[in-house]
Amino acid sequence: MSVTAKRLLIVLIIAVVAFVLGRLGMRFFMNLMLGGTMFGGDFL
Amino acid sequence: MSRKTKEKKPGKGKWAVIYILTFVVALIAGVLSKQISPSWAKDYSVKWTDEVGTAYKDLSYGDLPAKKYDIYVPADNTKESYGLIVYLHPGGFTSGDKQYDHEMLEWLCSMGYVTAGINYTLRDDEHPETSVYSQSIEIKAAVPVVIEEAEKLGYHIDSLGMAGGSAGHCLAMLYAYRDADTSPVPVKVCIGAVGPSSFYPEDWSCYGFDARTEETDEAAAGLFGIMAGKKITPDMFGTPAYDEAMKDISALLWVDEHTVPTLLCYGAYDRVQSFEASKRLDAALTEYGVPHDYIVCEHSGHGLQNDSESSHRYSQLMVEYLDRYMPVR
Repeated sequence: MSVTAKRLLIVLIIAVVAFVLGRLGMRFFMNLMLGGTMFGGDFL
Repeated sequence: MSRKTKEKKPGKGKWAVIYILTFVVALIAGVLSKQISPSWAKDYSVKWTDEVGTAYKDLSYGDLPAKKYDIYVPADNTKESYGLIVYLHPGGFTSGDKQYDHEMLEWLCSMGYVTAGINYTLRDDEHPETSVYSQSIEIKAAVPVVIEEAEKLGYHIDSLGMAGGSAGHCLAMLYAYRDADTSPVPVKVCIGAVGPSSFYPEDWSCYGFDARTEETDEAAAGLFGIMAGKKITPDMFGTPAYDEAMKDISALLWVDEHTVPTLLCYGAYDRVQSFEASKRLDAALTEYGVPHDYIVCEHSGHGLQNDSESSHRYSQLMVEYLDRYMPVR
């Protein structure tokens, strides 16, 4: 695998992790305000 | 050697920036993606045009500035009679406005109903005397005015459905259960989500009132007293006098065999009002044989935000209840 390919893979992994963290963060905030569980129900 | 290092550094820096930007953009996308409505939600909204109906906004039902209502009438005015659906706004009895429910009111109107959103005086610094009870009395006064206005517009009203969210659900239940006998037209159905229906401190773990200490009982008496617009003292809890004092704002205490069919939806982790109280309400409706459905969003709080499937079921049942108990003729 070339260096560029590896870096693009890292970008993809970062994007997925950050997207999931964003959703989890928003869910955490909403749960904090309104109540709710961190997992279960809708996706994340 | 040193030349090579110098050549590589700008490349690494560029990729570091790309990584950081990717993280930030994807994080924001993740946050924003939580705001996107589920795909089924489009089935419960309508593009409001003159072909669907007409909205008359900020009509008055009293002297106070807050006493305003919006009425939506369907474009088809050829029917002999119409059902009226009143949808009351949320906001913890202290905020909110009918205007934010326009999508719900428009969608219900598109089904062939006359719909109305009614404002009520909110409890704030300017209105410290306002209580849930006084708000419920305002709604009671508003309903005949809305029906009269519908008649003036050429829509004869023959039935009424009460609906709302949170505080609005509480007020809708009070009208449907407590004041139905005074309604100019029969109340046929009550639909709503996350509205408080009773005020027993042991149920209100969301505020820590279930601890039942001297301190929490004082706090509960203070809050519930403000809501009822009456003096409530901790020694009243658990006595018939408490039920009597709170009955004016406790939909639960008005449930009997004559209670209208009811659709309820609550979040099991509600931090704003008591989920436990909703279990009492479900039990009472069951005990008296009242046709009802009780949907619990098992992973959600007050916003029903984590259970799209259950929220969808609630919307589906809303349509079913209206078709069954207030069919459009």
